[in-house]
Formats: sequence, structure tokens, C-alpha cells
Amino acid sequence: MEAFIQPGFWIFVLAMAGIYGVFSLGLQIQYGVAGVMNFGHVGMMAITGYAIAILVIRFQWSFWWAAFVGVALAALGGALLGLSTLRLSGDYFAIASIAFAEITRYWILNSDGITGGTQGTLAIPNPRGFGGYTDQPDVILYWIMDRLTPYLGDNASRDLAILLVVWPFFFLFLWISARLQKTSWARVLRATREDDDVPRSLGKNVFRFRLQALVIGSVFGGIAGAFWAVQFMLLAPEDFLRIVTFYGWMILILAGATRVKGLAIAAIFFGFLYGATRFVEFWPISLLSAPERSYLRIFLIGVVLIALMVKRPQGLFGKRQEMVLE
Amino acid sequence: MAILEVRDISVSFGGIKPVRGVSFSVEPGSFTSIIGPNGAGKTSLFNLISGVNKIDTGEILFRGEEVHGLHAHQIAERGLVRTFQGAKIIKRLTVAENLMMAVQGNPGDSLWRFFTPRSRSKFEKYARYLAMERLDRVGLTKYADEFAGILSGGQRKLLDLSRALMTNPSMILLDEPFAGVNPTLVEKLLEVLASMRKQYEITFLLIEHDLETVMNISERVIVMAEGKIIADGLPNSIYENEQVIDAYLGSRKRGA
Ligand SMILES: Nc1ncnc2c1ncn2[C@@H]1O[C@H](COP(=O)(O)OP(=O)(O)OP(=O)(O)O)[C@@H](O)[C@H]1O
Ligand SMILES: [Mg+2]
Repeated sequence: MEAFIQPGFWIFVLAMAGIYGVFSLGLQIQYGVAGVMNFGHVGMMAITGYAIAILVIRFQWSFWWAAFVGVALAALGGALLGLSTLRLSGDYFAIASIAFAEITRYWILNSDGITGGTQGTLAIPNPRGFGGYTDQPDVILYWIMDRLTPYLGDNASRDLAILLVVWPFFFLFLWISARLQKTSWARVLRATREDDDVPRSLGKNVFRFRLQALVIGSVFGGIAGAFWAVQFMLLAPEDFLRIVTFYGWMILILAGATRVKGLAIAAIFFGFLYGATRFVEFWPISLLSAPERSYLRIFLIGVVLIALMVKRPQGLFGKRQEMVLE
Repeated sequence: MAILEVRDISVSFGGIKPVRGVSFSVEPGSFTSIIGPNGAGKTSLFNLISGVNKIDTGEILFRGEEVHGLHAHQIAERGLVRTFQGAKIIKRLTVAENLMMAVQGNPGDSLWRFFTPRSRSKFEKYARYLAMERLDRVGLTKYADEFAGILSGGQRKLLDLSRALMTNPSMILLDEPFAGVNPTLVEKLLEVLASMRKQYEITFLLIEHDLETVMNISERVIVMAEGKIIADGLPNSIYENEQVIDAYLGSRKRGA
């Protein structure tokens, strides 16, 4: 139970909640606004994270340019995914999006010479010998830590610095996205969740709107990937499993897909649910081994979500009426 | 010059051929009705003209331009708009939002205009004003900010029709807009259509089963059966056409 009461652990959980929050904001725009079911969102995170690592380590780019290009590549990934498959019906797109993320991951896994393969970004060929990619953001993070150490001592950790960087960005993105969702652009997309023929008959190029939503969501997925890359300082293919996408979906479902403001609270709620279930150590659960317990954790989160969907299909913050109209 | 010209168009879905070699043209500002038995291909014809489905053979010209290769939204943008049989409304948008979506030329539809909030909000106010004005005309004002999904069947028809008119079309295809609407309201709607027609010179093409309405409002009637046009002429001439009597009117001949 010790870790349970350590602030360091909860700081980590909150920092991750912020990163996952940005990640699921992308899904919120895609699904909550546009009704596009993207189950390959983790692919965008992987693209940006790896682009940063490769460009900085192998080609010695500045981190900032690498991050910019990395996010642009995630947007491009979203555009390519959309151009090739968004004309399919919703179900087919959902399947294609899973394939997209899996292909991305397999490519990373099998391109040792470029990505470091199974060994992760540590094994990226580096002309200078061993090296990371976070030197430049670390300058900022350590600056923040130095300012806080006099007050917080050991608790002024790198995780805390990341938390303090990520959350303002998350709130900024929430604000932008809330404004975006008040535009007539978003109104057309909300219409397309139900029907394509009506907006088309009113002169709206439904495909263009959807593609834009997919790309914007991918940008947020990419930004989350950049934060993630900085947070962990190294990346490996198994960081980008399908389950990450589903964590993003869990936050979205918790928040209620159409309620952008619920996302911050849902992200924290998810973080604590995820963090806290690590510590269910009492009998009989204590009989299980650590990996078994981590499955149990996912199982428990699943149960909570199902209960929520039955009792409150609109999520914690959604309007019920919107879910039940016939 | 004809505003709409349909030349020998056909379509088939698998073994079914809903439209087989249909040709006709429509003069600007005219009011034409299409009648015919269930499954005659009337709605399918609208789907082809409006670009919802693509024709297999033939040509469709709108204001002298070929439109049969265009996407549905491009055809709508050119001012050829349609409503759907059974009224398609967006249930999870409010009634006012349903209408506001139809106002053409909204700068806010462009993502880049996110960065010019002034012009966006100005247009939104204008669109809202137009929507409220329209709702007032059809008596739906009090539902403006409710989800459209709560409207009754007849109210949905009103909304659907109003929304199509809101696009400022030069030609409009109406697919049974009055089915399920009470008689006094039908009368009122017909008045609205007549006044719009006068004011904006809109060309109407109407699918309708109620013969009395058809005879009152139309200048011309096209009769379809089994994917073909079997009669086309002045409303009264339809009653005398043997083929039409067999296929559609049955014993409901004139005076019967
Ligand atoms: N997309 C499609 N795929 C297959 N068959 C279709 C399609 N669209 C229409 N049909 C068929 O074409 C035929 C004509 O249908 P349509 O809806 O045009 O009839 P209608 O004249 O509008 O009839 P109603 O008066 O009942 O509305 C029907 O047999 C229908 O099943
Ligand atoms: Mg029909």
C-alpha cells in the first residue's frame, strides 16, 4: 500500500491523465462531433513519437522542429487513412483504422535500422553514439523543477514539471475545441453523425468535413504522442498497442462523447481508476501474480465502464435526451 | 430554355430496373407533378436527378449544364435541391439548427474561418434570423431550440420542406411532402409554395399521390409506371388516358 500514499505516484498519474486527455480530445472531435469511429488513434501517437525520436537522434534535428514535423506527419497519416477508407461505411472505417495502427506498429517493430525495432528508440542508429531525444525539452522541465525544489523538495520531480506543462496545454486545447464545436462547421458534422443525404442535399461536401475532423483529431493524437515521448524519454513498439486507443475511448465514454468539457474530469477519473486498481492487494486478489493483476485491473475498468453505460449511456456529463431520440 | 432536361436515363440495381429510359424537360418557373403507383420509380428518378444515385445511361442537364456526373452536394450547390420521402430531419440538432444548416454561403462551414470569428458570428445571427422567420411561417417557433427528434411526423415534414426552401433553390424536387399532413396545413403549405414561386420564380417538381392536390396546383402532370413515363400533359388530359386509368387511376375516372 505504500506507493498508494506517495504523492510521486499520483503526480505521475495526473501527468499521464493530461496526456491521455489530449489524446482522447482527438477522439472526441472525431467521434463526438463527426461520428467517425477511429480505433487506430494510437497510430498517430506512434507516428509523432517515433518521428521525434528518429529526427532528433539520427538526424540531429532540433526537438522543436522534430515535434512540429512529427505532428504534421500524424496529420498526414490521418489524411491518408481518411482518403483511402473514409468513403467506406462507418464499420469498415473502424476496422481499417485498427489495421492502420497495427501496420504502423509492425513497421516500427520490423524496421530495426530506422526505428530501433524491438529494442525501441535506444537502438536508433546514432552518429554521436548513445543519446536521447529530450535534451531540449528537458531544459525547460529542469528549469521548472529548479524553481519548485525550494518549496516541494523531492516532490519537484520531472513528472511534476511535465504535469505543469501538459495541463495548461490540455486546457488550451479544450478551449479551442469547445469553440470549434460551436461553429457551423461542427454543426454540419453533427448532422452527418445521423445522416449523409440531408447535409449533401443542402450542398455540404460530407467527405471533406469528415476528413477535416479526422485530420484535426489526428493532430491531437500526435501532440499527445509528443508529450508521451518526452514523458518516457524512450519509446518501444509495445507502448503503442491497441489498448492505448481503448483507454482514450474509455475517457471519452466516461465524459460523454458529446461533452467536451467533461473530458478533463474524465481523464483524471480514468487516471485514478487506472492507478488505484494497481493497489487492490487484499485477499483473494493478493493471490494473483502481478501480470494477472494487471489483467484484473483492465477487467475492473471494463466493468465500471459497462455499468456506467447501462446506467448513464450519456456518460458522466452528457445529456441523456440526446442519446434516446428516435 | 428548359431549366431541367432529362434525356433517356436509366438505372439498375442488380436485377431491379427502377428507371428505364425516362426523358422529359421542365420549363423555368413551372409546376409539374409526378404521379404513379407505388414502386413506379418516382423516388428513384429523384435520386438520379439529385445525384444520390448515379445514372447508368442517359444525360441530365440543369440550366444547360451536364450534372449527372456531379456529387449530390455539387448539384445542391447549383440550386437544384430535393426533399426526401418520409421527411429526413436531423434529430439531434435543434429545429433551428436544422434550418440554419441550410442557409447557403456560410463562411463558418470553412475550417479556416475559425480564425475570423467576427464574420462567422455575424453570419450565424443572420442564419438564425432567417430560421426564426421561417419557423414563424410554419408555426414551429416554440420548438426552435428543442431537438428536432421530438417533432411529430407532420411537423417533421414542415421542417423538411422549410429547410429545402431555405437553401434558396432555383428548382426544388418534393417527394410526397404532404403525405400525413392534415388538410388545413396542406392548404397553408400550398399557399407558402405558391407565394415562394411568385416571389423567387422557383421551379417545382412534385411527387404526390393525392390527385385533388395535384390537379389544383400543377400545370402539368407526368405519370410513371414500371420505370417509364406513360403519360405527360395537362392535368385534365391524364383522366382520359387509357394507360393511366389501367395503371393508376383504376375506377377513379373523372366523375367516378
Ligand atoms: N437503391 C436501390 N437498390 C435496389 N432497389 C431499389 C433502390 N432504389 C429503388 N429500388 C427499387 O426501385 C423500385 C422503385 O422504387 P421507388 O422508391 O422509386 O418507387 P416510388 O415510385 O417512389 O414508389 P412510392 O410511391 O411507393 O414511393 C422499387 O422496386 C425499389 O425496391
Ligand atoms: Mg417514392
